[in-house]
Amino acid sequence: MAAGLRIARESYDIASVDRREVLRYLGYRDQRLSDELGERIDAVVGRCLLLARPRASIADYPVASVDAGEVRLDGCTLRLTGADIVGHLHDATRVALFAVTLGADIDRELRRLSLTDALEQVIFDAAATALVERAADAANARIRAYAADLGMFTSWRFSPGYGDLPLSVQTDFLAALDATRQLGITLTPSDLMVPTKSVTAVVGIHPDPQPGLEGSCSICSLAEFCTLRTTGRTCRG
Amino acid sequence: MASTASPISTTTPFGHDACRTLRIKDEHLARVLDGSDHLLFDGAMGTQLQERGLAAGEIPELLCLTNPEEITEIHASYVAAGSEAITTNTFGANRTKLGDAATVDEIFSAAIACARKAGARYVAADIGPTGALLQPMGTLSFDDAYDLFAEQVVAATKAGADLFIIETMADLAEAKAALLAVKENSDLPAFVTMTFDEDGRTFLGTTPEVAAVTLSALGANALGINCSLGPADVAPLISRMLPWASCPVMAQANAGLPHVHEGRTLYSISPKEYCAAVQTMLDAGVTVVGGCCGTSPAFIEGERILLRGRIATGRQLRRHLTTTSAQQLVSLAPGQVGVIGERINPTGKKRLKEALRSGNHDYVMGEAIDQAKSGAQVLDVNAGLPEIDEWATLVRLTQELQGVTTLPLQIDSSDPVAIEAAVRAYPGKPIINSCNGKRESLDAVLPIARHYGCCIVGLTLDEDGIPTTAEGRLAVARKIVAAADALGIPRQDVIIDCLAMAASTDQEAPRAILDGIRLVKQELDGVRTVLGVSNISFGLPFRPLVNATFLAAAFSAGLDLAIVNPMNDRLMDVVNSWRVLSGEDESAQRYVSTYAGRTDTPAASSKPAAISYDTSSPDGIAATLSSISGTLHDIATAMGKGSVTTSGTDAPKDDGQPSPEAAGDTPEGQVRDLVLAGRKDPVPDAVRLILADTDGSHDSMYVINEVLIPALDEVGARFEKGTFFLPQLMASAEAAKAGFNVLRESASTDDVPSKGTIALATVKGDIHDIGKNIVRMLLENYGYDVIDMGRDVDPQAFTDVVVEHHIELAGLSALMTTTVPAMAQTIELLHEQAPWCKVIVGGAVLNPEYAEMVGADYYAKDANESARIAGEVLG
Repeated sequence: MAAGLRIARESYDIASVDRREVLRYLGYRDQRLSDELGERIDAVVGRCLLLARPRASIADYPVASVDAGEVRLDGCTLRLTGADIVGHLHDATRVALFAVTLGADIDRELRRLSLTDALEQVIFDAAATALVERAADAANARIRAYAADLGMFTSWRFSPGYGDLPLSVQTDFLAALDATRQLGITLTPSDLMVPTKSVTAVVGIHPDPQPGLEGSCSICSLAEFCTLRTTGRTCRG
Repeated sequence: MASTASPISTTTPFGHDACRTLRIKDEHLARVLDGSDHLLFDGAMGTQLQERGLAAGEIPELLCLTNPEEITEIHASYVAAGSEAITTNTFGANRTKLGDAATVDEIFSAAIACARKAGARYVAADIGPTGALLQPMGTLSFDDAYDLFAEQVVAATKAGADLFIIETMADLAEAKAALLAVKENSDLPAFVTMTFDEDGRTFLGTTPEVAAVTLSALGANALGINCSLGPADVAPLISRMLPWASCPVMAQANAGLPHVHEGRTLYSISPKEYCAAVQTMLDAGVTVVGGCCGTSPAFIEGERILLRGRIATGRQLRRHLTTTSAQQLVSLAPGQVGVIGERINPTGKKRLKEALRSGNHDYVMGEAIDQAKSGAQVLDVNAGLPEIDEWATLVRLTQELQGVTTLPLQIDSSDPVAIEAAVRAYPGKPIINSCNGKRESLDAVLPIARHYGCCIVGLTLDEDGIPTTAEGRLAVARKIVAAADALGIPRQDVIIDCLAMAASTDQEAPRAILDGIRLVKQELDGVRTVLGVSNISFGLPFRPLVNATFLAAAFSAGLDLAIVNPMNDRLMDVVNSWRVLSGEDESAQRYVSTYAGRTDTPAASSKPAAISYDTSSPDGIAATLSSISGTLHDIATAMGKGSVTTSGTDAPKDDGQPSPEAAGDTPEGQVRDLVLAGRKDPVPDAVRLILADTDGSHDSMYVINEVLIPALDEVGARFEKGTFFLPQLMASAEAAKAGFNVLRESASTDDVPSKGTIALATVKGDIHDIGKNIVRMLLENYGYDVIDMGRDVDPQAFTDVVVEHHIELAGLSALMTTTVPAMAQTIELLHEQAPWCKVIVGGAVLNPEYAEMVGADYYAKDANESARIAGEVLG
């Protein structure tokens, strides 16, 4: 029985990305930035925001078992393998999986720029990377609020390819989220996601508060998307 | 299992598939296919299976083998509710998804048996997406997708299916591959549905109109929408398909949006609400219905009641001339005119020839973008150069152009093999340019147009040459149209070209052409016309004027499509003003917004302040020089040496480097400063000024070796030190490129020697190309020729290019640990087959040790380093 399978499809209206973050992806280390280049970067970031359609598919699965090598879930075939993810989720009773994508228009624009303007391609790529991380923040915030409703707590998000959680879990990961149908995310034979500006991650849902959470809302990357705060609560209990 | 009723053959009144004799199971299905009767499909399979405990990620198709009773039971519940067509449980049953679990044959055979056993009147073999994205955005080739589908089609036909339902397609190219697989491997009807997002496009940007035009041209026997959304949201999208679909239209919506209630995924809409929305779709002209995710037999039951005794609603089809790309529909109602951009044709174009020969298509892409900006609605693509492989080049250009423009393409070739290769994988309905009245041409090209659902240009020439009279042209046109009619090509897809001939050699010709257009439009009902206008002025001075006058006359005679250079304002002025006179531009809105405030000044002065460098007379040079000095003054001012200062401008003195004394005061210094500042726009004029040096010592080599390369070296040094970051390095490279382009365009083109050729690629399996593109940009700006093979490049294909061009330096990029083995494999092949070639590698996951391990000769930590290595290897 597919116990507890919950899938939500969401879209996010993200109006801005942090310029400093875009610059960081571009390797910026306080060089003098001409107005001309600065304006060009801003224009490209603006076009990225315009073309992106940030979407998420989110699912919640109970943890079936955690043993030395892998975490198994109820209701899907996904097995999260490796010592790192096992350590990360060792006391989680549920996990939320999510996939976010900015959509195919971003890849199309990257492709157009790869044929026409290498500089703008680099900038656009940085902007899209910053933006898809914001979309992941939004999905993560949604999961944190969901956990709070259950009286539970989340750990930080963990993506395939990070630590020793292999990219080869992506097939089952996307299937557990119905991500191809819900979001149009597909995999290449080398397990890369297309559209390329997509992120998958697992968030542990734990009975007890997790270390490593930000100390206050003011520095939390999820704050912009947090629905908990509007209810007067915070995820810190 | 074989069909029980005796199959009948029919051609639908929609006129489809004269080429393919369909096997249609019974009279009812024949009526369904001609649009005069309804057909009720079934509802969700996946939702039912999940309710019965199927885990996400399990292969549901395997249940056909392991648990056939359960599958049959679900089918039977739909049959009992009234479903006539039962969709087999084979959505993902392709070779790659099934893996070793079962064969495609086994699954289709078992799945069709389940549907048959459940009592299905029609067994609809289900074909879903491959699960992989097609090139160019993904890595699956069109041919490989086709092969996956063809295997399914053969299996299903053999196992006794009655029809195909290709569904949940988001990619028009993939839908086309699947539909072709059915057409070429089966005689059964094919229904095709795509899935759309809230914004009315598929995930890959296809609109309902584009899907309807393209799929019906390709010969889908029914088309429509499934999945996606609830029926109320599907209804407006379906209504956008209805006027364009020359076959029945079908809708299988979801039961609203999924939500969660007490741990279960539920859908928001009741059967009653669902049927109310279906009713509106039936009233609009939809004739095939059913359900998708979240629907159950209760929904089908409701639809059955709706259909009971109902007469199919007729609908009005638009007989427009239509052509599509995957994202864009161009449609011309009778009386509307369209512009086809002519620039991508090497005839008489030196730079284009060079680009096609070298395989460096940047210039072609630029031409496409410029034409689109200037108002072209379709782009002609011609790769006819005797010394290149036209077939391969046309296919590659067709694919690359889709990366930079959404305009539909006109595939222009006299070689039917090249035409077929280009249109087969094209995700849309292209125009084929051309066939002519010769029997041989009609026999070779028209079937291609028919099979792939293309518009076809027919040239009015035949075995006897080009007729001199209008009547002669009409006679050839009649022959072409009769042949097209016989194949079932719709009249509005046939476009006759009456062939413009030079007025300077035969002043009767213009009249004959114009009368020819008039006669063709009069005598051949529904047929359209096209004309390459510029031939008319051959041999005359100031040709654009003659072209413009003739174009206006041709529009008046009934011309539908003009093949012109859209960058020529005079011609576009004719087009824009004609659209007012013909009433196409309603209330002259577009005209007014474009031309309001414009006065009748010579074209040159209404242009932005571009400087033309006129060397034809001493006066010209003097005038040019004086205007350049004015510009240089502006440059100096903008760079902060005058009164206007921009904060933090990267003038060379900013980092404390001593600048040459002359910087900023001489043209050389200006160029250097501009390159360092990364400001490309003023560079061409400054370079021209250096070249204009009257003692003649300042040739291209001087500019390259004494100005551009030293400036780039300085940029590289600053990047090394961290004074510049990547975008600054690239902006400088761009500025230098603007300078190189001037040298290339100048009269002394042949004097610009290449410093050597370098081949680049991102390795097989890897789709990250940014790093490689940066390297390419830098290398080009150091004066190297670069053959960029793109991303996800096959090791042997890359090696072949290295061997063919005897390339001495190759660069490979890999961004993923998983693709490093492909890099090693490519290097191994290179060492075997091209032992003279040195290899540089780079990319996020590489380091010097890794590079050595994969057998590379050099490791470049960044783009700058690869330019240095190129200097070492090639000089």
